[in-house]
Amino acid sequence: MALHDTHYKHWEGRHLGIWSRRAVIAGQGLKSCLQVRWMRYIVTLCWASALLQVFLLFFLGQLLVADSIVVKWLSNLNPRLQAVGAALTGWLEQHPEISVRTSFNLLFYYFTSNLLTLTMIAIAISIPHLITRDLSSNAIIVYSSKAIGRFDYLLGKFATVVGLMVLTWLGPACAAWFTGNLLSPNWHFFWHSRLALGHTLLYLGSSMAILGILALGVSAISSRAKATTSLWVAMWLVGNALIPIAHETKPWLKHLSFSYNLEQLGLAVFQIQNDFRAAEQNIPFFGDMIRTIREQSRSTFDAPNLNGALLGLGAMMIISIVIIVRKVKPE
Amino acid sequence: MATPIIETANFCKRYGSLKALDSVSLQAPPGSIGLLGPNGAGKSTFMKCLLQLQPFDSGSAKLLGREVGHEGREIRKRIGYAPEQDCHIPGMVGCEYVTYCAQLCGIPFQSARQRAHEMLDFVGMGQERYRKIDTYSTGMKQRLKLAQAIVHDPELVFLDEPTNGLDPKGQAQILELIQSLRKDHGISVVLSSHLLHDVDRICDQIVIIARGRVLVHDTLENLKSRRRGAAEVVVANRHDELIQAFRRNSWPCEKLTNGHIRVEHAGENLNPLLRLMSDIQVTPLEIIPSPNALEEMFIKALGENQN
Repeated sequence: MALHDTHYKHWEGRHLGIWSRRAVIAGQGLKSCLQVRWMRYIVTLCWASALLQVFLLFFLGQLLVADSIVVKWLSNLNPRLQAVGAALTGWLEQHPEISVRTSFNLLFYYFTSNLLTLTMIAIAISIPHLITRDLSSNAIIVYSSKAIGRFDYLLGKFATVVGLMVLTWLGPACAAWFTGNLLSPNWHFFWHSRLALGHTLLYLGSSMAILGILALGVSAISSRAKATTSLWVAMWLVGNALIPIAHETKPWLKHLSFSYNLEQLGLAVFQIQNDFRAAEQNIPFFGDMIRTIREQSRSTFDAPNLNGALLGLGAMMIISIVIIVRKVKPE
Repeated sequence: MATPIIETANFCKRYGSLKALDSVSLQAPPGSIGLLGPNGAGKSTFMKCLLQLQPFDSGSAKLLGREVGHEGREIRKRIGYAPEQDCHIPGMVGCEYVTYCAQLCGIPFQSARQRAHEMLDFVGMGQERYRKIDTYSTGMKQRLKLAQAIVHDPELVFLDEPTNGLDPKGQAQILELIQSLRKDHGISVVLSSHLLHDVDRICDQIVIIARGRVLVHDTLENLKSRRRGAAEVVVANRHDELIQAFRRNSWPCEKLTNGHIRVEHAGENLNPLLRLMSDIQVTPLEIIPSPNALEEMFIKALGENQN
């Protein structure tokens, strides 16, 4: 008699395609990341930030509604702020296509830049869940023995980190754009703000791809979770610390910081210097404020160093890919 | 003749100057195949190269009639692998892990979950399937590895030292499961082990590997028949009388430490031995034909290889 209930059955169903298997890897990775409590806090914080953005867009839209609470509230403020409100309202009424585009573009640049910090923290938490733990636990052997290749595995893991960034970065931004427009008094807001959405998608799309590859590279560098997480944080912080040093010494040192390079990329994509110029010309308060910005900062906005940034990011990605190719093997 | 499940020709793998696999040429028909060899002989390397977990240097190989190196994904869809070392995903519970492995093979989630539970039943795991794998004992991990290897209903399963770290009862259970895969469900099994008893018990073909070379490849039956003419006789008393009778017949014999008498009677079958015992009126309690044939063959093959 058999020691166990040996009811082995053959399986005769239809196998799913390779894309669904890659999606399974991505889904499992994402689930594993979200099991970390701090990750859930960060995702919540990112969506809270989106809510704030929606509130600001709603505020902007309500300026066009004559008897809205926002207009009444503005009329009770001090004369200087009343003047700003009136100028903004006038600008919205006279040139809605420019004013909506400009204000959305500025807001989206500001929020996406800020969400980058939270996204970097989220990636730091997720790093061990990408490749590191598979290397330390030998799970990589199991992946390699299933009906998936190394490329499929990496694509799944890449989708994990991109999925995470969708939750912390792209998702809140797109949701804010859609909800902000939905709450606007005029359907034309959707059309006028299309450029801001385009800039956001372009910037976040390229940044997510770059950060995804860098995160995989760092995750693959060691099988020790603490080592890979520390390396990511160190790369980020040391890179940031290099920026002021680079100003004083060698300017190319700035490009060793991936957050600086991404910032340059953001400036080049959003082209906020045009928005500043438009706002400077149309809103007196804004003009005064912008004129007080130091010349150096203005030159940063006016001429982002895109070539240097792309070169820096490109070099980092190549190093990352080399690490992945060399390290992600069953043995 | 059925398509060979493993077919290699001049299959080579080097680690620097060391030849881990030295022109391995093999054709193995479906069945349960035991890969035997001392530690470092190249058994695991052979398996890993076939599964493309490691690249091979030269030669060609086919698994289930498909070219290794060109149809990797298709091959792996039809085979299962339980590695020697632990390979679970930290933080996962047992049934979740097996479900995930099924999904990696392209089984839709609902079916994967159902199939995972069926396989966990098959390998004899109870409620512990809902516990995190990190808390499992060695035996549970071995069962789990077997479950993940067969969850997608493969045609061929590679098992690398599947009884390592198990107590005798656990070993017996795992071996019985593996045996039933072949006997009752037609799944071919390649079992790598250095434990001759395991291989002797469940395999019908034996491949002995040493220093990266295939020294012997034959069916277990043929190997045992080569060692016909030897037997172990168990008697309750009159040991010395029996030994003297054997020696009078010029049959080399010796008394083993367990009290059994080992004799080389050189006959095709046991009839001459039985006749002699009948003549001197000694009644055996048990006669074990061709005892340790595999072990002797193994040692002999290794010895020849060293010479």
